[in-house]
Amino acid sequence: MKEKIDRLRKMVNVLQVVEKHPDLYFITLEGNQLVMALGYLKNTLNFKHLAFMQAVDYLEDNKFMLTYMVYNYELKANLGVNVFIDREESSMFSIHRLWEHAWQYQRELYEMFGIDFPGSPRVDEPFIMESWEEMPPMRRDFDTLAYSQKTYFPRPGRETNDPKEQMKKAKYPNYPDSPKIRRDDE
Amino acid sequence: MKLKDIIQPLTIWKRVAEEPWTIKDPLTERPGADNYRGFHQNDFAKCIGCGSCEEICQNAAIDLVPVEGQEVKDGNSGLRPRIDYGRCCWCALCVDICPTGALTMSNEYTWIDDDPEVFRFTPGADKTKWQDDEKGYSRSEDIALINFDRIEMEEKAPEDRDKSFIEIVKGYNKEQAMLEADRCLECGLCTATCPAHMDIPAYIAALREDNIEEAFRILYETNPLPEICGRICTHKCETACALHNNGEAIAIRWLKRYIADQIPAERYKEVLGTEHLADPKIGHKIAVIGAGPSGLSAAYYLAILGYQVKIFEALPDSGGMMRYGIPEYRLPYDQINKDIDYIKSLGVEIQFNTRIGQDIPLEDLHQEYSAVYAATGLHLGRSTRIPGSDNSEVYFATDLLRKFTLGQDIPVGKKIVVIGGGNVAMDITRTLARLQNQKYGKVDITATSLETEDIMPADREEIVESREEKAIIEPGWGPQEIEIKDGKIAGLHLIKCLSVFDENGAFNPKFDANEKKFFKADMVVESIGQGMDLSYISDELKEKIKMGPRGRIDVNEGFQTSVDWLFVGGDIIKGPDVINGVANGHIAAKAIDKYLNAQKK
Repeated sequence: MKEKIDRLRKMVNVLQVVEKHPDLYFITLEGNQLVMALGYLKNTLNFKHLAFMQAVDYLEDNKFMLTYMVYNYELKANLGVNVFIDREESSMFSIHRLWEHAWQYQRELYEMFGIDFPGSPRVDEPFIMESWEEMPPMRRDFDTLAYSQKTYFPRPGRETNDPKEQMKKAKYPNYPDSPKIRRDDE
Repeated sequence: MKLKDIIQPLTIWKRVAEEPWTIKDPLTERPGADNYRGFHQNDFAKCIGCGSCEEICQNAAIDLVPVEGQEVKDGNSGLRPRIDYGRCCWCALCVDICPTGALTMSNEYTWIDDDPEVFRFTPGADKTKWQDDEKGYSRSEDIALINFDRIEMEEKAPEDRDKSFIEIVKGYNKEQAMLEADRCLECGLCTATCPAHMDIPAYIAALREDNIEEAFRILYETNPLPEICGRICTHKCETACALHNNGEAIAIRWLKRYIADQIPAERYKEVLGTEHLADPKIGHKIAVIGAGPSGLSAAYYLAILGYQVKIFEALPDSGGMMRYGIPEYRLPYDQINKDIDYIKSLGVEIQFNTRIGQDIPLEDLHQEYSAVYAATGLHLGRSTRIPGSDNSEVYFATDLLRKFTLGQDIPVGKKIVVIGGGNVAMDITRTLARLQNQKYGKVDITATSLETEDIMPADREEIVESREEKAIIEPGWGPQEIEIKDGKIAGLHLIKCLSVFDENGAFNPKFDANEKKFFKADMVVESIGQGMDLSYISDELKEKIKMGPRGRIDVNEGFQTSVDWLFVGGDIIKGPDVINGVANGHIAAKAIDKYLNAQKK
């Protein structure tokens, strides 16, 4: 695996290498060199299979991390290729010409994170969420609870209790509150 | 069209008589994966009803409900999560956040019923066929939604502290306090265990939001001695912390100290909104006996309520046991003064060197004051009364600690034995160890208690730190006799103590007289508890006061005695510790207010 990554280094700028297991490495690349790198990994270094694509929302850094997991049948090893892209107007080159099935992942990422892949077939068709009108739900600033409260009415008969109040009720119901401070202007 | 296309559909007919390939009931034998996130399970033996599952649920699918047989007790609200499967999305955050690991998910995922109401259920209480399934999803150690490790408190190294009375605990800096506050789940289970019911989650939340002034105001709602309690509180709240079950409790005491330390004394009135406190002239005058924690707490809350308060104190300075009992290395005097000076700044007057009963009769106070709150504490040493304990080289711990604070010379033996295993015993042990170090350059002091180490009443850190300072702690021995040779102490004879309490929990020590021990000593200090001195109550008044069991004064819920103008609290009623005194004082202040308001009508 190390040898493969070293060969990749001659082609592109590898920013970071992390070994999770001997057969699972992660590397971080620059976004504009991604397609070239994946093409070289597939055609020359024998990472023939794209296992999946995924995204992570780094809200605080205003970045998405895209991960392309590719597999080498000879090494029986996975390589995760990470790139960071800007979170606002997030967009990435499509790789459906390298792996045809990538269009489906890209369509999913478009729907869940709002990451665009210009040129990817049917990228803006709903993947699983027909008539979704909110922001893409996997973005971390999507307020799941608020959406849930708004969309699903509470079943009748639901009631809850606060642990602190419950214990007060049971153990010290008459304990005094702090007195109001008497001020001279009152 | 090819011939094959015409013939092939017909060939299917040859299978018409065969057994169908369809599986009849595909769901009977299709278990979920071993770590599948299926229906919830809840182990009631572990669940503490902290509500973290409810809090984290992104779909508001969880309610906390009382469940029959699940009692409200320290560190356990008795509430249990009820899950609405109409909303649950199986994300398992509730399992990941559960601090005790009680809430898990089975790998069962099929459940069919005609009644929609059954899909809102309380795992653990409502019987289900998957409740005891082993497989499924549980909180894994490497998914860390909870940080079980406390931010370590820096202390002075033993060699840097064992000769002086400089404060040992350094206190958190901002970064440490923020990280520690960040661990809090804000469940609020601790609040019930705190005798003063301080709103701990609220002040930790304010601290986390970097609103230190709000945090400080919250402290004063229930405790006017935060610098003191932030250092020496018995911090029973931490035993009720949800994180205590599986890891280290939030350092509640140290966070309180951090908050109080951030506000300089000159800003107290501004932050607490008492710059324009009303003149107490309209109110009644109240007398408080004893400027210890309980008296000060009552005085503070009475002053806030607009009363004119005067405290009578027998000793030359305020604080009671906080100043005259607890050594300076645990609680520096400037911190005591910071808390008390603020109470004084609200118009509370303290008259020192005035012993009620001797200098002023208690009845006379009643002439001048509408009500009296007596919080006189436990200052009389108790003796073991073993042979030899009447020797002049046998001392009471509280007497020595008081004299030392007063600046008087106290005797320091070369070889000292302390009898007792509580915090006071540790205080005198460590004080004398320091003095031995100063005087002789080495420590030779042994503290021995009836209780074995696991049930010693002293705080764990006191025992550890005593040993770090080269004191010897020998728990589990019963003192038998102090051997006297030519009028001088030769040592202490002990026998093995097998158990301290009987099966009813009553004090009833059992010994093995065959297993003996002897500690050589030239000085013995007794620290087996303190008694109250009620001699300030005249015989005439005593007859009117209803007494409770074991010589204690009987008081009602508001710490009022049967003599209606006399309220009694602090260590002589409940405790003994500072935080109980603070709580008593607060309750008594409110009760006095109620009593005087009722009189007006």
